[in-house]
Amino acid sequence: MLQFDRVSLAPETQRLRAQVREFLAEESAHFPKPNSDFVTGYDVEFSRKLALRGWIGMTWPKQYGGAERSFFERYVVTEELLAAGAPVSAHWIADRQSGPLLLRFGTQAQRQKYLPGITSGVDFFSIGMSEPDTGSDLASVRTTAVKDGGSYRINGTKIWTTDAHRNRYIICLVRTSAVSEIRHAGLSQIIVDLHNDGAQVRPIANMAGGEDFNEVVFEDVMVPADRIIGEPGSGWEQVTSELAYERSGPERFLSSFRVFVELVRACGPKPQPHQCAAIGRIASHIMTLRRMSISVAGMLQLQGNQENQDVGVEAALVKELGNSFEKVLPEIARLALDTDKLSNVFRETYEETMLLTPSFTLRGGTREILRGVIARGLGLR
Amino acid sequence: MNQELNESRRMIIDSAQKMFSDHCDKKLLDEAERGVFPETLWQIIVENGFNQLGAPGTETVPADLFAFIQLCGRYAVPAPIADTLLVNTWAGVNQQICGIGELRSDNSQASSADSFTIDEVVWGRRVSLVAAVTRGSNEVILVQNPHLVESSTNMAGEPMDTLQGSNQQVVAVQADPYAQVALSRINLIAGSLQTLLDLGLQFATERSQFGRTISKFQAIQHSLAVVAAEVAASKRAADAAVDAIGDPRFVFEVAASKARVGEAVGIVAEQVHQIHGAMGFTHEHRLHHFSRRCWAWRDSWGNEFYWQSLLGAHLASLGADHLWDFIATRS
Repeated sequence: MLQFDRVSLAPETQRLRAQVREFLAEESAHFPKPNSDFVTGYDVEFSRKLALRGWIGMTWPKQYGGAERSFFERYVVTEELLAAGAPVSAHWIADRQSGPLLLRFGTQAQRQKYLPGITSGVDFFSIGMSEPDTGSDLASVRTTAVKDGGSYRINGTKIWTTDAHRNRYIICLVRTSAVSEIRHAGLSQIIVDLHNDGAQVRPIANMAGGEDFNEVVFEDVMVPADRIIGEPGSGWEQVTSELAYERSGPERFLSSFRVFVELVRACGPKPQPHQCAAIGRIASHIMTLRRMSISVAGMLQLQGNQENQDVGVEAALVKELGNSFEKVLPEIARLALDTDKLSNVFRETYEETMLLTPSFTLRGGTREILRGVIARGLGLR
Repeated sequence: MNQELNESRRMIIDSAQKMFSDHCDKKLLDEAERGVFPETLWQIIVENGFNQLGAPGTETVPADLFAFIQLCGRYAVPAPIADTLLVNTWAGVNQQICGIGELRSDNSQASSADSFTIDEVVWGRRVSLVAAVTRGSNEVILVQNPHLVESSTNMAGEPMDTLQGSNQQVVAVQADPYAQVALSRINLIAGSLQTLLDLGLQFATERSQFGRTISKFQAIQHSLAVVAAEVAASKRAADAAVDAIGDPRFVFEVAASKARVGEAVGIVAEQVHQIHGAMGFTHEHRLHHFSRRCWAWRDSWGNEFYWQSLLGAHLASLGADHLWDFIATRS
């Protein structure tokens, strides 16, 4: 059965939290507009400053540039950054997903080659899972990587790849052997150097006016055979495992947090009763989601300690609940205010976030996929 | 959490679970709704000392008490056990059936100057000791042998009575008593919501339509996934509020929890009834014992609006730039 243990952030995280806040207080003067959406705000300089403080790859071994700190400490840093609306997009995927993937499944040589670049804030990663004809049905990917001497020859197209036009690397889910009876077999993940391997990257404008995601086309792109992560054919196991890491973090319920902040500001110290209720309602959801998310972080911490708990279903549940709520938050906020008399700051923050909301329940697994994962956890499938 | 504590709580809950599965069935719930007090079950609860959980002088803590209350919600135990437990922690252990109600602020109807009117006391007709609670006050007025002024029932068919009596004793309770009663309702709801999920899962995997169990339909799967998410959130919110006992922000944690759990009630009850179809709308099915209780409890001891407003007013007074600090201070 689903379990969300009572987990508290350890007391030793308090000092770290204060350090992050101190850092953010100084840095916030240079932010563009605060936005809690982790995809908005790509700032290489800012990421590099975080790296200098050891806040990228925090939980990784020191030999790869990590700080060997706990999942809880990482949690504190990530939630503080998001709540402040800091521009975290550049390093986010590498820190959350690509690095841990290489740590778990990569070869020693791969870890040595790629992880220090991440922890020093120099190299950033994109995820190459979706394709024009492959969205939620990930096992249907058609991009192929065919062994050719000491190399793999890659052909196909990846799409919705966030920041591929400015990141150094992309990790692609590709087919390394032909489709068989077992749909999930024959898939592998492979690292491509977006600066040097010859993949074509074309930015795709989104409806919110941003250009974050891209189409990446591979036409006979040749990469060395040692770019395959782990054993060829273990791609499916890898992507399902990394999704558990991806799904339960604070970025899954804090995306619209700045709207909440501006709502409270707009309401002033003595709000109307319905405004108080709106503020309290939003807070009650965030407080609960945060605790559920921390419960999963606690279980991941145990997993790191070899107790081997599977948190895939709980993580999917946090994401589903969190994404749905971060979409509802702007709705509650706008109705709490007299729309004719909105302050400019509230209006700007609200409008910017509202335009992003459709992506919240799509990225990292749609609502429909997540509900399927939860249903499987309930024994219904 | 302390491992030993965890272990002893698990033993309490395991034996209570056995007690309730043996003695708290549909028949008992139906009888209670017709006004028959569950004498045998109450006697067993008292004999096993469950009415003393969390009270001073026992080797149990408040978290044990609320875990037990959550279990009572899971079985829809039709007795004023939550109120008795709380009164025992405030007044010292006694073997009476106890009740809690709000002190009527307009006391003009009372028969004499030192007499109190206490509203909406669960099973008030049977209690021999009632605690009168006032919003925002830490003082509880204990009234021995109150008399019944008006009897009624809530939408779950639970007796809800108005009592009167004279002041026997005023006790100062550390953690806000109104919030403590709300916390008991939070836990009752969290327990009942779990049963609603269990019933939904059971029905969906047994009921067959179009040649397969309805659990195979994606619409049903997604509905139950939503229910499971709400139930998990409610449980986590309930635990968080229990863990805040003794913390200066206890009232605000209860506020967040009752508001969150109250919202879950609407979603869960609606979805699980829909899954059950007409069968769940019959009196014969036990589903309604849980859904009706959840609907009643979300409105008692502060509905969502009350607690949202209380929390929201506090956050507004802290100001926008301290909002995050409030949220991040306790996990």
